[in-house]
Amino acid sequence: MIGQTKKPIEEIIEYLDGKKKIVIYGCGGCATVFHTGGEPEVKEMADILTKNGKEVLATVTPPFGEFTCYAPWSKQRMSSCKSQIEECDAVLMLCCGDGLQVVREYVLENEFGLNKNIYPGTNPVGHMGGGPVLFKEKCIQCGECELGRLCGICPMTQCAKGLLNGPCGGTRKDGKCEVNPDNDCAWVLIYKRLKELGELDKMQEIMPPKDWSKMQRPRELEVEPLSLE
Amino acid sequence: MAESFRKVLKSDKFIITAEIGPVKGTNVQKMIDNIKILKDKVDALNVTDNQSAVMRYPSLGTCLLIKEQGGEPIFQITCRDRNRLSIQADLLFAYSRGIENVLCLTGDSLKMGDHSEAKQVYDIDSVHLIQLVHTLNSGKDLSGNNLDGGVDFCIGASATPSADPIEPQLIKYEKKIKAGIDFVQTQAVYDLDELKRFVNYSRNINRSVKILAGIVLLVSARMAKWMNENIPGIFVPQDFIDELAEMPKGEELSKGIEIAGKLIRKILDEKICDGVHIMAIGKEEKVPDILKAAGILKV
Repeated sequence: MIGQTKKPIEEIIEYLDGKKKIVIYGCGGCATVFHTGGEPEVKEMADILTKNGKEVLATVTPPFGEFTCYAPWSKQRMSSCKSQIEECDAVLMLCCGDGLQVVREYVLENEFGLNKNIYPGTNPVGHMGGGPVLFKEKCIQCGECELGRLCGICPMTQCAKGLLNGPCGGTRKDGKCEVNPDNDCAWVLIYKRLKELGELDKMQEIMPPKDWSKMQRPRELEVEPLSLE
Repeated sequence: MAESFRKVLKSDKFIITAEIGPVKGTNVQKMIDNIKILKDKVDALNVTDNQSAVMRYPSLGTCLLIKEQGGEPIFQITCRDRNRLSIQADLLFAYSRGIENVLCLTGDSLKMGDHSEAKQVYDIDSVHLIQLVHTLNSGKDLSGNNLDGGVDFCIGASATPSADPIEPQLIKYEKKIKAGIDFVQTQAVYDLDELKRFVNYSRNINRSVKILAGIVLLVSARMAKWMNENIPGIFVPQDFIDELAEMPKGEELSKGIEIAGKLIRKILDEKICDGVHIMAIGKEEKVPDILKAAGILKV
């Protein structure tokens, strides 16, 4: 999931300066889990904007499980309020940057032929797993997963320096990381786990430098479309 | 210090290196003064690379100052601020100006320094960096292209004998040896039994790697306590802290010099390892006093 936090309301009000009529679009995926763009947050935002003198023409709240970043869904969802979108001065997106840009490009521009102001209401903070309370960044989507060589712990994400061949000198006595003492040193975790698995020899192999070209952005994929029936 | 460091490493001499910490700014005179004081009293001078992630005069530039003064520099290079292209380019430049020794380091996290909002690099790690220098030494770049005029660096690494937990650190150190190093300069050690264990471990893997024990000059009890609390891998025993604390105000430094001198003397007398690397952070001009306290430099 894409971890996210709410943007300060002052920043959102600043974006919307001079824009009267607003459409708010949430997300039934990550933004619902992280309480940044689910149904309650969309409603809360509508109230705040109304109190700030805005006219909220429509609120779009996809059901849980419906991701705004999936264009076929957001096209369907936004078609139901196309007239309000045409009329509005700005669209406020309570979802991650993927959702916002998918809606801007595939829905507003390509589908509706509209060039509308569109603004974010959240700060995405990484690809995260866990929950229901605590979420942690676990994967940097490096394009060539190394977890098979690293007993299921990714030091590129877990280690503050992304080191591939063992710890730096900054491991604290309690096995925590010097950079952030709340975090475990990835390499102490890997060491302990490999030891338990009886595979400590794997830690002795020199991992080659990472091929970062596999992270050259922007990346894209073509897949067989899902049937939404 | 006319002799090349590589040659010193091959001799049976007790090796002594010290550290020059670059200034923040262009007023390099103090560094030049320290280089002049130290260049003939030690076998080589390390130059830190934006140490503690604090932006300073460059390691490479300071190495050039050392060369200009007739000294032997050890170019410390970290993986924090440069990608593999930039590291290779800096190494080519260094070698072309007569800098022949390189210490391969990971680099302190940006969070420790004064530019915490910068983007950290860590394109490669310290083990890769050692391999990279070997690749350049072989006449090729990392992509396999031939170099027009090669390099022949003497390669060093760091290690942390007092780390706790020690095992993951030793596994990493073993990789550094396998990647191929000529020398290791350790993090500060005050417990010589820990140093002995580390030396034993290192020599069991490869006897030819020369081991220089890190000696950080303690300037006060407060500094010693601060290091214990804040720098992983450094442990100053309580005895030393007490000795420093008992000194009258203004005389703690002389006790610190005495402690460093005694440690060095013991390492030398007991032949614990091949030499020492003295880090007199901000007090480089005191290194001769430490060497006198160790009985190495005649008073």
